[in-house]
Amino acid sequence: MPMLQFDPVQLPKAAEALRHEVRDFLATNSDRISAPNSDFSSGHDADFSARLGERGWIGMTWPKAYGGAERSFFERYVVTEELLAAGAPVSAHWIADRQSGPLLLSAGSEEQRARYLPAIIRGASFFSIGMSEPGTGSDLASVRTVAKPVAGGWRVSGTKLWTTDAHRNHYMIALVRTAPADGNRHGGLSQLIIDLAAPGVTIRPIRNMAGGEDFNEVVFDDVFVADADVVGEPGNGWSQVTSELGYERSGPERFLSAFRVYVEFVRLVGADPERSEAAAVGRIAAHLMTLRRMSMSVAGMLENGKTPNVEAALVKELGNNFEKLLPEIARAAAPLSRSGDGGAQARFRQTYAETLLLSPSFTLRGGTREILRGVIARGLGLR
Amino acid sequence: MEQMLADAAERIFRDQCTKPALDAAESGQFPARLWQLLCENGFQLMALPDSGAELADLFAVLRVAGRFAAPLPLAEALLANRWLGGEGGDRTADALNTVALVAQDGNPQWLDAPWGRAARRIVGVADDGAVFAGKPVAVREAFNLAGEPRDQVEVRDVRPLPCAEPPLALLALARVAQSAGALERVLELGIGYAQEREQFGRPIARFQAVQHMLAMVAAEVAAAGRASDAAVAAIGSDRFALEVAAAKSRVGEAVGLVAEAVHQVHGAMGFTHEHQLHHFTRRLWAWRDECGSEAHWQALLGRRLCALGADQVWDFLATSS
Ligand SMILES: Cc1cc2nc3c(=O)[nH]c(=O)nc-3n(C[C@H](O)[C@H](O)[C@H](O)COP(=O)(O)OP(=O)(O)OC[C@H]3O[C@@H](n4cnc5c(N)ncnc54)[C@H](O)[C@@H]3O)c2cc1C
Repeated sequence: MPMLQFDPVQLPKAAEALRHEVRDFLATNSDRISAPNSDFSSGHDADFSARLGERGWIGMTWPKAYGGAERSFFERYVVTEELLAAGAPVSAHWIADRQSGPLLLSAGSEEQRARYLPAIIRGASFFSIGMSEPGTGSDLASVRTVAKPVAGGWRVSGTKLWTTDAHRNHYMIALVRTAPADGNRHGGLSQLIIDLAAPGVTIRPIRNMAGGEDFNEVVFDDVFVADADVVGEPGNGWSQVTSELGYERSGPERFLSAFRVYVEFVRLVGADPERSEAAAVGRIAAHLMTLRRMSMSVAGMLENGKTPNVEAALVKELGNNFEKLLPEIARAAAPLSRSGDGGAQARFRQTYAETLLLSPSFTLRGGTREILRGVIARGLGLR
Repeated sequence: MEQMLADAAERIFRDQCTKPALDAAESGQFPARLWQLLCENGFQLMALPDSGAELADLFAVLRVAGRFAAPLPLAEALLANRWLGGEGGDRTADALNTVALVAQDGNPQWLDAPWGRAARRIVGVADDGAVFAGKPVAVREAFNLAGEPRDQVEVRDVRPLPCAEPPLALLALARVAQSAGALERVLELGIGYAQEREQFGRPIARFQAVQHMLAMVAAEVAAAGRASDAAVAAIGSDRFALEVAAAKSRVGEAVGLVAEAVHQVHGAMGFTHEHQLHHFTRRLWAWRDECGSEAHWQALLGRRLCALGADQVWDFLATSS
């Protein structure tokens, strides 16, 4: 049986030095974090992203030729985990930094890199993921948005759904059908860069159960996309999409979404907790310490050029379940009230409520728990 | 070094820890041949300060022991020898020493001694971490829920032993490492059974419900293994006890989920005495409560974090790799 291996990783010294720079930055910019939320897709703040870009903390592993810093995966890891733990508003640049940029680096053309990467790195250009559709969720290969070849490019028609921040971002990288399936449903799919301000694009925000308007329906009505904006070869979309998964699934955003609830819980129980309160604090810490190490192990595999898709799915599965468990542990152990807590009870309740209302999405976005379990089962040789 | 020792131990355990041997040990028969083989290969001395092995190597061997449900008190024997130090006689190959819990300082009734009945000398560890040496004079035999001897021993000639390390955390780490190994074995058993058992004309591994149970199990087992490694890596650091606390907690949580699911996958066959699964699951259930339950260690870790304060918690978590 293939045993899944999560080797220890020692963060390089440079990464630890960087950690302190990020903390100093967060302290100076605390005015932008008045309502901390560790969920990576809560908090779209273009100005904050631009400040991060100024510091060189977006696209920081990318080549200097495009404005990147050629820093290691571990340094990026430290920056992202510090931002999430502090509850900073990172959603504007998040997808471009995590996914779109790396995709262009691995599959894009030289022209695309030169055109898009410098602005992403400055924190001035934001991307969305266009995978899901009304009829397409887990079964991604079933996408029905089509692109028809025309002179100099393509005409796109169809509907993308649940597109996070499409109404605030500049571009979408959409998975569309450019040729009929013809027996191989993974064939004929392509990834296109679509300008969300282009004629024929209609974006309608969809209110979520927490009251936010973050994801959208995006309708394409004969939208023109130039040949130059096809990522990789037409028809190669499926293998490109699946190779993004290691990056998408194993980062600290897959187990830190509920972290601020923990911080407020610790504040609430105070320096001298009851035994059951202390046990809840320790239980959550034990999960976090382990998940962080597993997630860093995957970062180590990525740094070494591996494609740890099964390991990444496993970290996401554990991490997402834990993100849902954390508020449950905290609420069950939370004291009713404590006199003179300086508002700690109110802060805890508010953070808890905000996170609980987001929590159903934790095991859906980026691949549902059931799909991830299928990936792990395949890795175990069960299917 | 670590890999060499673990491989050597594995060869011995693979040969010796058969189903009949496990059953015999559970009926109270000490596995003398296994112990003899381990001694012939020098394992009884490996935790002595001058053995040339690192303490981490001991836990690598214990993890292998867990994979095979090795039915002897290896952790206790080796740690007892370590704490008894250079005190003569204990280096003789066939002498088994063990560790017991001392309810109160100097109390001559020591509890939960693994194989106390077979031990020549006993090291007692008190709640506050004080360590004593004692000579067993009478034994009341008892077992944990895995059928492992956990005897109550009356001792004489009690005297304190100097011990520069936290004995309770080391004992807890032993259970962590043994559990990490046993969890790996239980996952293997689950996968193997799912691939071989057929119902409705196909292996039950083809059913998504079974696949999902085992995927969850694999994730828990991987987490337990990573937590165990991290605590072992912290030996000698000032965070050692806290890392053990995290590992004991995380591994204990994995045990409940994994044992439940893998029994479900095994159907009635896994509920029989004849099947080997229970040798591992019962040990896992016993070990999660021994040397401090999850709640005990969670509270210890939690108190430290609360003392640091809400705005320092992240720094604590991020200062570990
Ligand atoms: C907050 C949020 C933000 C999102 N942002 C984006 C975005 O920016 N871009 C984008 O493209 N998408 C986005 N999504 C969509 C997300 O990728 C999908 O929700 C996800 O892929 C699941 O699809 P679905 O919701 O249609 O559920 P379905 O696929 O219809 O699944 C419903 C249920 O059935 C289960 N199920 C489905 N197939 C199987 C199977 N084969 N075996 C077992 N169980 C199965 C699922 O696990 C789930 O429990 C977002 C979703 C959320 C909640």
